[in-house]
Amino acid sequence: MTIRLEGKGVTVTFGDMFRKVEAVKNIDVALHAGQTIGIVGESGSGKSTLARVLAGIQVPTSGEVFYEGTNIWQGKVSYPGEMRKKVQMVFQDPYGSLNPRMRVVNAVAEAVKFHQNADGEQARQIALDLLERMGIAKNDAIKLPRALSGGQRQRVSVARALSANPEVLIADEPTSAIDQSAQSQLLSLFSELIAGGLSVILVSHDLGVIRYLTDRVYVMESGDFVEAGDTAQIFEDPQMEYTQKLISSIPGHKKLKS
Amino acid sequence: MSNSALVDIDSLQISVRLSRTRRLKIVDYASMKINPGEMIGLIGESGSGKTMLCRALIGTLRRRDAYISGGSVMFDGMDLATAKNDVWRQVRGKRIGYVPQSALAGPNPVLTIEAQLLESLGGDETLSRADAKKRAKELLDIVQIRRPDIVMKQYPNQLSGGMKQRVMIACAIALQPELIVADEPTTGLDVTVQAEIMKLLKEIRDQFNTAIILVSHDLPLINDVCDQITVMHAGATVENIASAEIEKSKHPYTIALYKSRIDLAPPRGELITIAGQPPAVGAWQTGCRFNQRCDFVTDACLIGEHPKYIELSATHQTACINHAGIEAKIGSSL
Amino acid sequence: MSIKKFRRWLDEPGNSVIFTGFSMFVAIVLAGILVPLFYKYGPNDFVGMPFERPGGEFLFGTDQLGRDILSRTFHSVYRDLGVAFLGVSIPFVVGTFIGIILGLSKSKKIIAVISSVIDGINAFPLLILAVALIAFLGPGLGSVVIILALTNWARYARIARTKAVVVSQQNYIEAAYTLGYPRRRIIRKHVSPNVSSETIAYALSDFILVILLIAGLSFLGLAATPPTAEWGAMISEGRTYIINAPWITLFPGAALCWSAISLAFIVEGISRREGKV
Repeated sequence: MTIRLEGKGVTVTFGDMFRKVEAVKNIDVALHAGQTIGIVGESGSGKSTLARVLAGIQVPTSGEVFYEGTNIWQGKVSYPGEMRKKVQMVFQDPYGSLNPRMRVVNAVAEAVKFHQNADGEQARQIALDLLERMGIAKNDAIKLPRALSGGQRQRVSVARALSANPEVLIADEPTSAIDQSAQSQLLSLFSELIAGGLSVILVSHDLGVIRYLTDRVYVMESGDFVEAGDTAQIFEDPQMEYTQKLISSIPGHKKLKS
Repeated sequence: MSNSALVDIDSLQISVRLSRTRRLKIVDYASMKINPGEMIGLIGESGSGKTMLCRALIGTLRRRDAYISGGSVMFDGMDLATAKNDVWRQVRGKRIGYVPQSALAGPNPVLTIEAQLLESLGGDETLSRADAKKRAKELLDIVQIRRPDIVMKQYPNQLSGGMKQRVMIACAIALQPELIVADEPTTGLDVTVQAEIMKLLKEIRDQFNTAIILVSHDLPLINDVCDQITVMHAGATVENIASAEIEKSKHPYTIALYKSRIDLAPPRGELITIAGQPPAVGAWQTGCRFNQRCDFVTDACLIGEHPKYIELSATHQTACINHAGIEAKIGSSL
Repeated sequence: MSIKKFRRWLDEPGNSVIFTGFSMFVAIVLAGILVPLFYKYGPNDFVGMPFERPGGEFLFGTDQLGRDILSRTFHSVYRDLGVAFLGVSIPFVVGTFIGIILGLSKSKKIIAVISSVIDGINAFPLLILAVALIAFLGPGLGSVVIILALTNWARYARIARTKAVVVSQQNYIEAAYTLGYPRRRIIRKHVSPNVSSETIAYALSDFILVILLIAGLSFLGLAATPPTAEWGAMISEGRTYIINAPWITLFPGAALCWSAISLAFIVEGISRREGKV
């Protein structure tokens, strides 16, 4: 299998000369074609920062990110030219990831225009079809984001990301701010996309989601990977205490009732 | 059992004022009983009215331009639905404590933890200041905050999210209420912190025999922690069932929620999803409000009022008119 | 919009206040257009005896020189409101633009230089600054517009900058970046609309201040000067006779208040609406 996306020695340091916080510490991570990896950890573990580095939004303090062997940073621009299509991102907060003053169909159509050589009415139609596939009917598609529920918005974000026909989708906590029924809808959508050949990096603190979707999981604690391995193996036989604690904290895993 | 219930909410309706003349009913057909010392989970999607139901219990509806437009909320023989301010002063904080959503509120940022706790203890006039201070420290002990002497002098921004929530719980139990309303107390907190907070709530219940309403949209969590589960959908309570019996649910919505649990699904396997969106708040169809999303819908589900609770046993009420038929269908589909 | 729909809209919190303010504003603007077009007397014609009481032929009376006050009051509208409009819209556009650029800029030098200019200008009260600059430019409504354009943008820039920093950290901007949209498009389609909603709100309340500033400067003889028909100048001229002929100052004063209150209603209504939703 070819390596799609690879981070080598990624380090991110925040703060100024007086106080430095190492959010990500010298991390190597690789995503193979068609693979789904999960990055799991608590808030402040640096998992979102790592995802943003891989998506080219955050400049790493040191280390490099390669997409199919090419460094994604060319000068001050990440993923120049056609490369940009290949890696897309879905964010955690369904309320902040859509422009509040743009109707959702237009937000998707804008991306379609940009990536699919379509314009005007045609782009709008493609956008509507795409949204329909994500379970957003036309009468919802013509609304402003604030008229949609969190789960619907999250599916719009996915539709917008998919309109670039990416090879890799990076999803940062896509389900943590939405209701359970919306969650299961979104997850089965992801599961379909993965079956269709999309490579996914899933960042989450929800081990249930990680277990359901990923092949391989990296457990992150204060900027560093403490454990990595095949998902099934990690869940069956976690080696590190931290991983064990995370797993035993999932509701439903360990009965709190005595 | 009904005589001994601490809280008895019957056919509660809550409406909100949209403008001078327009009103919108956001809760309708909500019924719920809470026994002393019982830990009960209230689950529903956003917009199902679960938070409004909590507000009716702590008397903060009016701040949101909402009011009780029907039904009753009996608390130890008093009807809170029609209670005036002087009644509320005797109840709120003293007999019913409240733990807010962690992500939204938290301790007042400009008060030290000590000041915060003393304020919560202020409702008890018999307590001298020195005693109150002693009691505040005890409270921090109860919620398992280490080094309470140091924490007392700190401001909320010096504490982690989990610690803040412990402080809020300490405030809620300050006057030893008979009921604690916890509205999504762990939303936005890490799973490990969530597990600790839940353990703490359970211990408080065991120690003081306090009834607790835990509001959440997380069924696995509620199922884990609570004795009894009440499910809300589109402003109505649709089922009340013992946690241990959740698999024997007789309402399609509860069944679907239970089966769409991600932690029970085989990896990448088929995930059971509930199709569609819940109906918009207040814009409810006739008949059962789940009829657009239900797999077991019959013609009778489409007409008339939203079904009322059908008593199956002391700990199990369902609002599905086809509950007998469902059993047969699930039996064959599983 | 059907009547029923309109009544429903009116019923929502804040909207009736907006509607009242808007109607009042439209009314005075209409009067300001119609009176100069159709009214029989010009603002500077000596049409009657001095100090004629309101009523009769001269609805608002005449001033100390026998000019028709109704004509003068409504001839002032396009000066007062028109100049105020220019004095708000130019700084609004310039300030919002500079604020956005500043909010998104990564160059520390540019940020430092422009921010200190903005802070420098904002450090002076607008009225003091205006009086000082008029000493250079000479009195006149044109000078007021120039002064507002030169100074008032800084307030918009500060607001726009703060908002632009917030907006630029939103996920939808990052999403636009990962979708490969050019920077210029992101600024135009995604940042600007969300920043300008904030500066528009400020512009509405600023409009009131600027109307009062123009009238105030004219009262001091620094903007419009006699015999120009302008509310501030008219009040200034009439104040000598305020005991015996109060109508000379009353009507321009009322028009000034009317305009300010109508805008204040709109601002109040909008904030009530936002507070509710």
